[in-house]
Amino acid sequence: MNVVFCIMLLAGVVYAAVSGRAELAQQALLSGAGEAVTLCLSLAGAYAFFGGLMGVLRESGAAGALARALRAPLSRMFPFAPGEERALEDICLNLSANMLGVGGAATPAGISAMRTMAQARGEGAPVSDAMILFLVVNTSSVQLLPTSMIALRAQAGSASPADIVLPTLLATAVSTAAGILACRLFAAWARRRGGTA
Amino acid sequence: MSALLLPALAVLCVLLGLRARMDVYAAFVRGAQEGLRTLAGMCPYLAAILTVTALWRQTGLTDALTALLSPLLSAAGLPRETAGVVLLRPLSGSAAMAAARDVLLTVGADSRAGRLACVICGASETVFFTGALYLGEAKAGSGRYAVPAALLAYAAGVLAAAALV
Repeated sequence: MNVVFCIMLLAGVVYAAVSGRAELAQQALLSGAGEAVTLCLSLAGAYAFFGGLMGVLRESGAAGALARALRAPLSRMFPFAPGEERALEDICLNLSANMLGVGGAATPAGISAMRTMAQARGEGAPVSDAMILFLVVNTSSVQLLPTSMIALRAQAGSASPADIVLPTLLATAVSTAAGILACRLFAAWARRRGGTA
Repeated sequence: MSALLLPALAVLCVLLGLRARMDVYAAFVRGAQEGLRTLAGMCPYLAAILTVTALWRQTGLTDALTALLSPLLSAAGLPRETAGVVLLRPLSGSAAMAAARDVLLTVGADSRAGRLACVICGASETVFFTGALYLGEAKAGSGRYAVPAALLAYAAGVLAAAALV
């Protein structure tokens, strides 16, 4: 992100200078951060509301129930190498927290799952198929309700801020399925070449 | 239908809370606190990224670059306004959010490009950040096919979004 930020900033200023719009660049630089503060203030209500609902959901034990429901299908889905199945509990916790959008609870469980699987393999060994699958499912987003986007749309004056929920859910499903499929294919390919698996 | 979604979710949460015999009010307040803390934590990141996106937008660099990219995007069924979101989403959540906000403000929240930008943001994750975090934790010698597989999943999600919205 460091590289991206520096390049974007330099490119913007250089482009403005070359195209003779240095004045616009000055205005933009002075107003950009202010925009962020205004945006945060206007999003605060929605974040408080969704945070509140998620708080109730979390403390009612819904995340735990979801984690238990995920256990059986996930244990079949993950190609655990010996010893790695000890991470299943954390994987269930991580994915259920991600589905409900409580990222704060998801990351520690995810890190712990990765650590457990890494220990089963020994330090410095290449990542296993199960570890990669876990990573890919995580990066394909499994969140059921895109709360930040609903908040952003409401703030921008949308007539129906929540009408993106269904397409988002379907696109998420497609990307997660594609990720799982890609992992299977890559893993099979690696095995055929006689690599580690 | 979508207008009923949030009220229904609120009712569901309250009923689940009552069934668990818990203090729903206190849990809501704690959760709201956490939501606000998340947002406060995001604000400095948004300040950094909105500074550069404002710079790009106001000097016309965003327009120039999306014009360059538009043949590629239209081949994928994506309106040109969504270029920034598609490119920034795997790198940073707040950058993608800033780009999505630009789309909403320039072409309208209920336009196809506006809705698509939000769907892409909501249906994906910061591939590179999560990847670096988890692979770093694994202390792995090599990530093998992790990043290509994650990017393929992202591309499939973007194309699905373009087909759905």
